Amino acid sequence: MTARTNRLGGSALTVLTWIVALLFVFPVIWMVVTSFKHEVDAATDPPTFAFTPTLEQFTAILDRGFLPYLANSAFVTVLSTLLVLLLGVPAAYALSLAPVKQTSNALGFFLSTKMLPIVAAIIPLYVISQNLGMLDNVWALIVLYAGMNLPLAVWMMRSFFLEVPTEMIEAARVDGAKLPTVLYRVILPVVAPGIAATALICVIFSWTEFFYAVNLTAAQAGTVPVFLVGFITSEGLFWAQLSAAALLASLPVMIVGWIAQNHLVRGLSMGAVK
Amino acid sequence: MTAVVEAPPSPEPPSTRTRAQQRSAAWKRRAPLLPALLFTIAVTQVPFLVTVFYSFQSWNMVRPGSRHFVGFDNYVDVFTDSVFLSALGNTVTITVVCVLVAMLLGLGLALLLDRQFLGRGIVRTLLITPFLILPAAGALLWKTTMFDPTYGLLNWAFGIEVEWLSDYPLAAVMTQIVWQWTPFMMLLILAGLQAQSREVLEAAQVDGAGRWRTFVSITLPQLSRYLQLAVLLGAIYIVNSFDAIFLMTQGGPGTASTNLPYYIYQRAFEGFDVGQSSAMGVVVVAMTLIVATFALRLMFRAFDVSRGVK
Amino acid sequence: MAQVAYAGASRVYPGTNSVRAVDGLDLCVGDGEFLVLVGPSGSGKSTALRMAAGLEDVDEGSISIGDRDVTHLPPKDRDIAMVFQSYALYPHMSVRENMAFSLKLRGMPKSEIGSKVEEAASLLDLTQYLDRKPKALSGGQRQRVAMGRAIVREPSVFLMDEPLSNLDAKLRVETRANIAALQRRLATTTIYVTHDQVEAMTMGDRVAVLRDGVLQQCASPRELYDTPRNVFVAGFIGSPAMNLLTLPVDGGAVKLGELEVRLPVPAGSGEVTIGVRPESLSLVGVGEDGFDLQVELVEELGADAYVHGTLAGHDDKLVVRADGRTPPRLGEAVRVALRDTGEVHVFDPESGLRIDED
Repeated sequence: MTARTNRLGGSALTVLTWIVALLFVFPVIWMVVTSFKHEVDAATDPPTFAFTPTLEQFTAILDRGFLPYLANSAFVTVLSTLLVLLLGVPAAYALSLAPVKQTSNALGFFLSTKMLPIVAAIIPLYVISQNLGMLDNVWALIVLYAGMNLPLAVWMMRSFFLEVPTEMIEAARVDGAKLPTVLYRVILPVVAPGIAATALICVIFSWTEFFYAVNLTAAQAGTVPVFLVGFITSEGLFWAQLSAAALLASLPVMIVGWIAQNHLVRGLSMGAVK
Repeated sequence: MTAVVEAPPSPEPPSTRTRAQQRSAAWKRRAPLLPALLFTIAVTQVPFLVTVFYSFQSWNMVRPGSRHFVGFDNYVDVFTDSVFLSALGNTVTITVVCVLVAMLLGLGLALLLDRQFLGRGIVRTLLITPFLILPAAGALLWKTTMFDPTYGLLNWAFGIEVEWLSDYPLAAVMTQIVWQWTPFMMLLILAGLQAQSREVLEAAQVDGAGRWRTFVSITLPQLSRYLQLAVLLGAIYIVNSFDAIFLMTQGGPGTASTNLPYYIYQRAFEGFDVGQSSAMGVVVVAMTLIVATFALRLMFRAFDVSRGVK
Repeated sequence: MAQVAYAGASRVYPGTNSVRAVDGLDLCVGDGEFLVLVGPSGSGKSTALRMAAGLEDVDEGSISIGDRDVTHLPPKDRDIAMVFQSYALYPHMSVRENMAFSLKLRGMPKSEIGSKVEEAASLLDLTQYLDRKPKALSGGQRQRVAMGRAIVREPSVFLMDEPLSNLDAKLRVETRANIAALQRRLATTTIYVTHDQVEAMTMGDRVAVLRDGVLQQCASPRELYDTPRNVFVAGFIGSPAMNLLTLPVDGGAVKLGELEVRLPVPAGSGEVTIGVRPESLSLVGVGEDGFDLQVELVEELGADAYVHGTLAGHDDKLVVRADGRTPPRLGEAVRVALRDTGEVHVFDPESGLRIDED
């Protein structure tokens, strides 16, 4: 192949890539477009492309009491992620830099809990929550989301801890640092990006979690996915409002995810990529 | 300057720590692990054990006082329940098809992204967006703006009249799940592609391998652990798919798109049958464990767990 | 300032086949001395160093620094500083913070830390890089930061674990000289681990050769070179390596081809191992006293050439140093003479130990 045809092939491939990407995100683009429509323009045959944009759907969403759901989601996501880090960072340390004898057993256990279908536990969780008066309570979700994300978080953080060079820890010990200092001043700053990546993934999974939220919460402690369920019966009539709600509900995670793309990749590949 | 000391007998006997000291050291090492372990046991294992306990009872929540021990009756019912079996079939279909299709699409997209071109960053941002959309929102959007028989974009775009959700419910649900998970697969595989050693690729070129040959003999083997991770994590999440079915088809029409999580949910929260739904839960766990043992072994091999165990 | 003494110190890795990584090491490093631990990989040299640092347990015996038994003390209580092979710089700290870290941990006042860091930085030519992160430094600069981190502490002992192995050849030679000069200036007791025998010979006041965890010999570079205590040391020290041949003894002499070499061997020995350095051999004209060598390879180094060949009528290989300007050609047969019988080292072929004329 000559350089010229190569370049031609290259730009054709670029065009193809762009088309594929735009088609792939089209439902999202359409969601954004629809959210600025009046309801009359939202569900039409053929679809309406030219319309007068409006913000009325967003105000309608707020009027339907969206904000408390958003607040619940934020609270549950942040606290459950903090809980995961609080429990997971020491565990990941114990499984990597100061390995205990049963390391692989413990790792296997953590991962196997991830493989337990969540349906298998929902009934007792419902009954227990009911008996404890924790139904429709954000704290129940916080604990459950932490339990849901902890295993994966331990795995990810372990691989980040393993990347810390042993010689650096030894250097700190020779420099006169005791274990807490080594942990806080040397190891944590080095694994901080990894911990951030892990936290990001916990945030995404907590924010988008649906099953526990739908079954264990209602008006009081409901998170954004629960708010969306309200559209299941009336969506035929309110596509524009549904789109606006979907956009608002997804926006926080979308923005965080876009900004922290590279962290996301690192977290997902469990530290296998430098 | 001192010379070599000529071997004086070592003054101390070999230092041996007492057993108690060793034990306390071992506990000190384990201490950071314990809170996470206990928490995970409390949140995941204990409820499961309670599920096992419930599964031996006949217990319907809407009929108070009906609760009693029935042995294995619930299990017998589960295995003779044709809906359960079809839900099992649907679960397997959804998981296998979605994981494979999402992975192939993800591989394709990752390969398209693994080169320099104009707007690469923007394209990548666009492509990961479906993963960041709330799955519940995604499901509702697909159900309405895409699949709706009258106003949906799909029928308009292809100029056809198809009742997607009632004629092809499983395919419709799977489409949404694949759309949701393809970016995840793509990101993982892209990470793998970019972790490849340039030199090895160049060595293959120098050895006379063409593009296709290089991809098959060099890239794919190097990608294998990323692909394994993608399959494993994808499967873990897709087996539990609930949102898409709950919001798009409600398992229907009939039970055509009911999977196990949705069926157990129905039996527990719409039929209030604690005993039977618990028995189903236990059966699902037992089956998952069989698959998981295999998958775990894969995972351990791929990630070389012995690293760090000194 | 202090001396470091290993007394029967051993490190045993437990297991079904427990490995004695360092086996009964008896070694005393004098106050202010530069001691090099050298040996092939797996010889236990790094382990021995790490035992002094407190990074490896001492399973048998003891180690003392100065007057204190430090065998079971943690590293921070030993008053040592260490330079690691990978430098082990803290990536999230600037050069200044890297050097100040240990001083800060000791609770030294800020102003004092500042002046000490400045002083060390100017000593190492790092002043302009003080606010950079390690990532923004070249390999040689990182190495100097690692040195700086050690010297600001003014410890009683420096421990260095192959600190030059990540540098390129030219920089290594330069840094080698700098470290040696710095150590002389600070007069701090130093233990330096390397696998490079050139480093060992050029830097150390004394060199300790280890093999399989056992100390082979500890002596000045000159002494190691001139009177290696056993075959291993003889072969390890010197480049190219000493020619070692095991030959039958006949009437108190061995035969190198036609050349009869009289040796101070006890009567009745059947065989001996002799060692001859390449520079103890020279090329001579045909007919002179010596033996014939079939040339197989000539390494030209400019000033010198090393002639590799086979002893005529034997399988034994020999290396001879020759003048670089007139090296022989491949396949040629050359005449080789021995400079002085006194330069032949004699070892017991069984034990490998040196046999000395007494």
